[in-house]
Amino acid sequence: MDASDQMNEPINQNDGLAAEACTQKGTSPADMLRIKQQMSNHCFEMSVQLNAGKSKRSCSASEAERGLPNYISELERVKMVHFNSTLALHRMQMWHAIGEKLKQTDPDAAALMAVGDRCMVLCSKIKELQNENRNLQENITEIQKKRLELKRLTDEKMKEVEELMSNKEHPDSEKYKTLLEKGQATLEKYKKMTTMTQNVLRGILLACKVNWLDDPKLRETALTLEDFPISD
Amino acid sequence: MSVLKPFSKLPNLDTASILLVENEEQVQQGLAEALVEDSAQAVNVRLARSLPLPLENEKTRPRIDLVVFILNLTSDKSFKSANESLKYLDPGYFLGKVCFMVTNARYASGNMGRLDAVRKMAASLHCPLLFAEVQSPEGVTNAARRLLTILKVASGLVPNTSSLYLSNLTRCTKPPDIDQPSFD
Repeated sequence: MDASDQMNEPINQNDGLAAEACTQKGTSPADMLRIKQQMSNHCFEMSVQLNAGKSKRSCSASEAERGLPNYISELERVKMVHFNSTLALHRMQMWHAIGEKLKQTDPDAAALMAVGDRCMVLCSKIKELQNENRNLQENITEIQKKRLELKRLTDEKMKEVEELMSNKEHPDSEKYKTLLEKGQATLEKYKKMTTMTQNVLRGILLACKVNWLDDPKLRETALTLEDFPISD
Repeated sequence: MSVLKPFSKLPNLDTASILLVENEEQVQQGLAEALVEDSAQAVNVRLARSLPLPLENEKTRPRIDLVVFILNLTSDKSFKSANESLKYLDPGYFLGKVCFMVTNARYASGNMGRLDAVRKMAASLHCPLLFAEVQSPEGVTNAARRLLTILKVASGLVPNTSSLYLSNLTRCTKPPDIDQPSFD
């Protein structure tokens, strides 16, 4: 395994280099951690390079590309799980540390307690405000419902008024029509009566051979009879 | 035997090394200065006109984490020389340690063929393709910042991320994009 021997040599030399760097620069623990991360990344890349040469499986580039999305999504899933677990672990560690701290009676612990109390006060205030908010929201919804209802009623009333407006001319003309018809009927009746009376009078004058030419009053009446158009 | 190999030297502690390859040597200097200014960690910038790199500096040259080819779209020579230089790069570099940067794309409206050729090259080599506007100092700073992000990953300074992983996220598509085999 020549390649891995070559790889191990650089790794050992890396440790030597790292020790050198520490003594030279006087690096802080954070820096050392960072450098360690960097080195582990490099080692990972080199091992990837080595493993790439090992499995001499022949497959075309397009085949490999087709399988790529699956691998990537698997990788992302694993990374996400790892990240979430790390977060959860850090959270647990933090809480444990805070709990331990609170058990002691340092000025730090007192400060922590003060912060905790303030958080409680703020949270209860938040709850109050949220309740108020919810009540106000409910009131607003009620008022909006009422307004909607009123609007609906107004619409109905408007429709009714419009209907009435369109119907009003008709009843008046109805009455007017009936009156008119009545008047006309009466007129017709009286016309008929007059015609009949005139016919009777003419009949009487003709039948009795009354001499109407001599008497002026009689003559007038008879002339009107002749001129009177017989309406039928 | 002057191929540039990625793993032939020891990595540098807490530093990142970047090689800017540009035929015209216009943008390199400004970009190099912006790179060195911007970052918190030490950045080692080497400039070159083309590969292969001269043999005299072989011993003193640090391990290069990222090779950036700067292509000017308004000239044909830069594309050709970049193509030639690609031959002198070890294949190990193409797993995320090579990046293409294109400048003057807005003046190349008549040369869509060249732009297409560059995109095809970047897509076939699975390398990220950055477009930079380097006429103004803000543009240079922005380009330097983007390069710095990729450089940090390539030199291992970002925990839990390797350049191979990043290269999956920064691939560019071949033109025309229509018949790109998508994730069916």
